[in-house]
Amino acid sequence: MKFLCVVCDTPMRLERAEPPKDGSITAVFECPECFHQIAMLTNPMETQAVTSLGVQIGPGAAERAAAGGCPFSGMINEMEEKPLRMPWTREALDRLAKIPDFVRPMAKDSIEQFARQQGHDEVSEQVMDEARGLFGM
Amino acid sequence: MKTYFDVQGDGGSGIVAQVTAQREAMTAALAGVRHVVLIGSGKGGVGKSTATMALGQSLRRRGKTVAILDADLNGPCQAQMAGLEGAPWVPGLRGLAIPRRRDGLGVVSCGSFLEGAASLELPSVAQGDEHVWRATRELTTLGQLVASIDWGSLDVLLVDLPPGTESTRQHAAFLGPRVVLVLLTIPTDVARGVVARSLAALRRDRAVVLGQIENMAGYYHRAEERILPLFPPPRRGELELPLLGRIPFDPELARLCDAGWPSDAELSPPPGLEEATDNLLQALAAAEITA
Repeated sequence: MKFLCVVCDTPMRLERAEPPKDGSITAVFECPECFHQIAMLTNPMETQAVTSLGVQIGPGAAERAAAGGCPFSGMINEMEEKPLRMPWTREALDRLAKIPDFVRPMAKDSIEQFARQQGHDEVSEQVMDEARGLFGM
Repeated sequence: MKTYFDVQGDGGSGIVAQVTAQREAMTAALAGVRHVVLIGSGKGGVGKSTATMALGQSLRRRGKTVAILDADLNGPCQAQMAGLEGAPWVPGLRGLAIPRRRDGLGVVSCGSFLEGAASLELPSVAQGDEHVWRATRELTTLGQLVASIDWGSLDVLLVDLPPGTESTRQHAAFLGPRVVLVLLTIPTDVARGVVARSLAALRRDRAVVLGQIENMAGYYHRAEERILPLFPPPRRGELELPLLGRIPFDPELARLCDAGWPSDAELSPPPGLEEATDNLLQALAAAEITA
């Protein structure tokens, strides 16, 4: 979607995007020529439809995505983060952080489940290495 | 007034560029995989997953390096069939490591961690209306998963597709131009009709469909080593697609899959499986030359 300033026929630029409130994103566009501003207000369905593509929204979003940042950083974080269900060591969390965000919750669940099944009360790098040894990884 | 195409870039988020980057990440992750073979049908209940596992085992017995990706994120069964329920997705140096059976067959399936009747939760701000976004989100998640795995060097990656003609078509398009398909059918008019629709849609999309495997082509009576009829002869003609093989329904194969295919299981392949594997390898080689 692109926005055009009807006053001076100049493509508008995305000035800022507000974090979503109840699923609605507010994106402010400004004309670089006449500084006319408009705000685009998405409904939750629109927010969800776009973010289901796994993209970031906001100024510099593509650069952040390329750097491996969270697809929803600053936008719809409340969608993604589930609390840890058991303690993790700092090293294990660092290793988990290397996984792309979309897949991280699934990996987190699977590692915690494995740890529980093996009788561990904490997820550590040793638990991960134990899993790798057990499943030929 | 300017039109959409007169304006460079997009609204500022670079969404098209981000989606392109995701596709490139998926392609890069699969760079070491020689053949990506989607096992689809369009029709549900024709034995895609069992056949995928059997083909995987057959390819592995020939010394091929093989992994299976269970693309049915919310109806996964490959982890159970492989005995890899509970196998976690552990980060390695270059991505998530593939859980492997002792015999070396790798299996990536959400069934590894979805316990019992749990389903994959895809959080949403949409307050309902899941039909609007859920299919997109599932495909995106699959793409992110593919891009996140350290596939390493593989001869064949078999992708067990979810059922549904539309879903088959979407997955084929989403997973990119280098994938090839094998369609599974069973010898009934209904199944052949649905698979014919899938085939027509895939051909319209210029997908490469290598051939078909007719599954449940009779009932394999192991004790008597003969194939008994399972369905009445269909009236509808066969699909206009090379036949890679006919595999009868084999209760032992089904039992093995239910039991997680124990590594010490010794089961002679059902009739037709080895021929289907041979023909698949030949078709892959031919497709490689054509490409």
